[in-house]
Amino acid sequence: MAAPRKRTLTRKPKDGAQPPPKEPPKPFAALDLGASAVRLVIAEGEGDAMRIIEEVARGVLIGKDTFTTGRIGQPTVEAALHALEGFRSIMDTFGVVRYRAVATSALREATNRDTVLDRIRVRTGIDVEVIDGSEENRLTYLAVRESLKSLPEIATETCLVAEVGGGSADLSTLHGGEPAHSGTYAIGSIRLRQSFAAFQGTPTHFQRLILRHIKNVIADIRRELPLDDVKHFIALGSDARLVARVLGRADSEPLSAFPRDAFLKVCSEIAVLDVDTILATHGLSLAEAETLAPALLVYSELVRATKAETITVSNATLRHGLIFDLARSEAGLGIEVFSRQVLASANAVGEKYNYDTRHARHIANLSLRLFDELRSEHGLDLRDRLLLEVAALLHDIGLFVNLRAHHKHSQYLISVAEIFGLSRDDLLVVSNIARYHRRGLPQRSHIPYMALDREAKIVVNKLGSILRLANALDADHQQKVKNIRVRPEDGVIAIEVEGAGDLTMERLAVLARSDFFQDAFGRRVIFREVTRGDSS
Amino acid sequence: MKMKTKPRRKAQDPEIFFNRELSWLAFNSRVLEEVEEAATPLAERAKFMAIVTNNLDEFFMVRVASLKNAIAEGDTTPDSAGLSPAQQLAVVKEMAALQLKRLHQISERDVLPSLEAIGIRILDFSDLDASLRAGVVRFFKDEVQPVITPLGIDAARPFPMLPSLSLNLAVLFEPEKKDGDPRLGVVPVPAALPRLVRVPGADSTYVRLETVVLSQLSSLFPGQAVRDVSTFRVLRDAELDIDDEGGGDDFLSQVEDEVHGRRRSQVVRLDIDAKASEALLSQLVSRFPGAEPLVYRIQGPLDLRLFFQVLDLTALDSFRDPAQRAQANLVPAESADLFAVLSRRDVLLHHPYDSFETVIDFVKQAAADPQVLAIKQTLYRPASDSEVVKALVAAAESGKQVTVVVELTARFDEASNIRWARRLEDAGAHVIYGIRGLKTHAKATLVVRREPQGIRRYVHLSTGNYNEKTSRLYTDIGMLSSDEALGRDLSAFFNTITGFSDPPAMQRLTMAPMALRARILSMIERERRRAEEGQPGLIRGKMNALVDEDIIRALYAASKAGVKIKLNVRGICCLRPGLKGISENIEVVSIIDRYLEHSRIYHFWNGGDEEHYIASADWMPRNLDRRIELMTRITSKEAMERLSTILDWFFEDNQKARILEPDGTYRRRKPGKGEEPARVQMRLYEDAKGRADKLRAVPITLEPIKRDSQS
Repeated sequence: MAAPRKRTLTRKPKDGAQPPPKEPPKPFAALDLGASAVRLVIAEGEGDAMRIIEEVARGVLIGKDTFTTGRIGQPTVEAALHALEGFRSIMDTFGVVRYRAVATSALREATNRDTVLDRIRVRTGIDVEVIDGSEENRLTYLAVRESLKSLPEIATETCLVAEVGGGSADLSTLHGGEPAHSGTYAIGSIRLRQSFAAFQGTPTHFQRLILRHIKNVIADIRRELPLDDVKHFIALGSDARLVARVLGRADSEPLSAFPRDAFLKVCSEIAVLDVDTILATHGLSLAEAETLAPALLVYSELVRATKAETITVSNATLRHGLIFDLARSEAGLGIEVFSRQVLASANAVGEKYNYDTRHARHIANLSLRLFDELRSEHGLDLRDRLLLEVAALLHDIGLFVNLRAHHKHSQYLISVAEIFGLSRDDLLVVSNIARYHRRGLPQRSHIPYMALDREAKIVVNKLGSILRLANALDADHQQKVKNIRVRPEDGVIAIEVEGAGDLTMERLAVLARSDFFQDAFGRRVIFREVTRGDSS
Repeated sequence: MKMKTKPRRKAQDPEIFFNRELSWLAFNSRVLEEVEEAATPLAERAKFMAIVTNNLDEFFMVRVASLKNAIAEGDTTPDSAGLSPAQQLAVVKEMAALQLKRLHQISERDVLPSLEAIGIRILDFSDLDASLRAGVVRFFKDEVQPVITPLGIDAARPFPMLPSLSLNLAVLFEPEKKDGDPRLGVVPVPAALPRLVRVPGADSTYVRLETVVLSQLSSLFPGQAVRDVSTFRVLRDAELDIDDEGGGDDFLSQVEDEVHGRRRSQVVRLDIDAKASEALLSQLVSRFPGAEPLVYRIQGPLDLRLFFQVLDLTALDSFRDPAQRAQANLVPAESADLFAVLSRRDVLLHHPYDSFETVIDFVKQAAADPQVLAIKQTLYRPASDSEVVKALVAAAESGKQVTVVVELTARFDEASNIRWARRLEDAGAHVIYGIRGLKTHAKATLVVRREPQGIRRYVHLSTGNYNEKTSRLYTDIGMLSSDEALGRDLSAFFNTITGFSDPPAMQRLTMAPMALRARILSMIERERRRAEEGQPGLIRGKMNALVDEDIIRALYAASKAGVKIKLNVRGICCLRPGLKGISENIEVVSIIDRYLEHSRIYHFWNGGDEEHYIASADWMPRNLDRRIELMTRITSKEAMERLSTILDWFFEDNQKARILEPDGTYRRRKPGKGEEPARVQMRLYEDAKGRADKLRAVPITLEPIKRDSQS
């Protein structure tokens, strides 16, 4: 799940070592294994009081291996291990015990990733977690959000946040400053370079070839993201920062805006240079120089696909998002504080599939009401509540495909959707909750359900049965039920329903669909119609 | 078309560059002047004699050896001053001969007689009265003979590999058969014994060991007739990269590579008694493989490092520079808790005037403080019984993370280096032996401390080594601070040299070889641009050597644009000042006084937004390209003002300052009309003393001793 996993390092005790004093804040660390470098950030303090103590980077070309041969070669693994051993030592310098280490596409797509992760764990004691694109987007958004407060236009216009990494380009759109759509696309700079590595020709030819490919991918992106609406373009990543440097911005500035033409001009000037010239003029490492041109081509094509007049380059990075996230969880805050962004993104998915907004919202409200009323029964937390809400909002999107078996279509569409803040694991839970809003209950032949771990199955059972009940309470999509109360009585749960008009359909539906609830909570459900005031 | 094998060097400009070897010889000559100076106390003169000797030895083993190697390889490429290696060697040979002659003349005519005048006699065995000889002969039988190995040389017994700097006797025997060739014998004078042997029964009277051995030849080669005998010493290619850290026996060095290892056996220089016969000399010379050594015939005793041995005699006590004590720079309560002081302000230290104890206290307190998580330090040349090393061992043993970047430089010192490096490792410290191909010359300590508000880093950055002994003889600037940017930069520095990180961008520090040269050039360039726009420009620098061609050219360009450039360069200076249209705005001064000038301070006017730096690096290609060095920007107002004052005084000295003339000669600066005599080292000492007195004047609060603090 996307909640920052709490991991701790065990330090070898030394003979005669003094126990460290308890009072001062303990620094925590974020590690990021990217396509061309591994990086470490160490910080201390909670929430807004967080202070970054140390930032370290070491070039390791994981992406070059993965995107060429599909696996990470031995020398690269050794280089990564060596770098992480050093990071471990630096973490020890500051007494770090809490950390989160994540790996992105370069490791995610490597066929030998599990072996590599295991070797890292054995050699350095660091547990690396492979995250998916949406978690990457969520973390990056955390870092971007801070810096964007100074840009008022973000609050009203649609913007595109784009980061071209080594393996993929991560894109998300913001509406009113909140993430709406997001997606991860396989046009990372190292991947592009390696895919066309066999090509022997002039830089211009090479560029034309890559360009054609990028354009194809952007055509696909256009189907998923409303690029035409984008008025403002926010570029992240080291290659974008280099463009900003060329345009005269100091490295220390968190944000700097450039006119579209100026940005595009620098991109096109650099993209035609050969690697040697780039090396000589821009003070980069060979690895950085090699992938600069493909990255800038992706940026400029993305800019051209939008109507953005201003390009803003931001210093925000995945690792900074990670460290903000750790600082927030230090302060006891989880993903639920981002529920607004998560729901905005879920609604955007709903819109994509022409969902019935009013029904969706109504079911969500009923589900949440049931959830809150049943708190003592289910023992779930705010994070689960959010998953329920998302499932409720999207439970009917399968209708977009077909009326028949639409719950199954919903399940599939949700499982492959990009929803801000929710990891692939989260989405699998949400999709299962949605699936069981009608028809058959979980059984052994349901592969997506069986693929969940035990804990997740229980969450699906509880939340799925709540959603199923809520859905029954709006059986004819008229939103007649105005209020409900839950009264646990001897062996049964009585649902007191306050409504307007004839509730027969709902009564019948509840009777029919409380089967799942009865399994999950071990109580029978009684439908009791009340008029206003009766229940209080 | 075949490419030339030698890369083309930059255009030479004999008109605007001095040759570095000649500039070095000029420096050594300035040190020799201090001996000739009547005002220099006798003990100091004796010390300078030994230092000049030692310096010249190192110069031959490294620089002259390198010239000879270049010639052997057929290298004819001229240096920036337009001289080919062969031409350089020819001039160097002559100049060195003159210098050696001058050195030994001073010894014979002045230093030895002056010592004798106060009762310290350094004699030949043959000068001794018969009554005193017996005691010395007994010493020979008991102590010398057992460790001596006389070597007869013939077809079966080849010429031995005599160690560099060793003193020996060469003996030419009468041929066994008439018409036969005379045979050669060699007696190494034991290096393990003191060069000067106390004569039993006579106060402050010494005989030179080699003369004792010579007097007893008949017992070493019984029954052989000696035709001729002479002392000689050999200096070998030292494969060493000796840096210009100064004189004394602390001159350490680094092993370069295998190529040099092979050349090590080459004899670069042969010193032999002036009275030795040609026959003996040619016999000797023919025994050395490779190119013929440079031969110097010496009047009087060889190897005047022997004066080191008399320096500590109490008879000399009234003939020394007046004693100067290192001054306290903090009140005792502050010294006892440096972290508290440093969390409020920076502390700038100027050694030896300010006490080095503060630095040792810093490391000791860090080692003992339970809040300290980690200590990282570069150790280049710790003293043999280093307090710093002891503190680090204690810190590692108490479970702190201790990282030490050690430069195992000296062959001479390897054993002792390895010993304490191993002690550190045994204690659990992480010991790193530098970076391949780059000598770690930066001097820095980082302390990571966990405080109630969070992590805080304390730093010490310096121009000099963590060596208690040399800190009393060399002038160096150190900076203690808890500045966040400095801490972050130094953290990044250690991450880089321990191989944990790629070199990052830094704010307050600049690191060689990655960025230092470019940074210095850009600051000189900035000053030039400002001058061209009509702003006043000023660059001041104090360093040990100025050799780097790029920097010198940048300084010329700045001078042409009207930037005033004032340089205090103790040793080698390849920049030619005062040339019309090239360097007329550049002034170069060299200070030679009782302390070896070693601090590097750089100051750029920058249109009034002044920048001050201290650095471990000179402006030499070696420092900028082949070493890990650090330059630190000093930003506290108080420290900047103090650095400016220090520089001011260096350019006001009219006692020990020499001005470099456009023709390469150095002229003493004399007080002008109405000018007070000003001697910078004296002023700095007085200043430190004045500040220390002020500290003592701070009212003392009495604290009654509590019961539990007694025991």
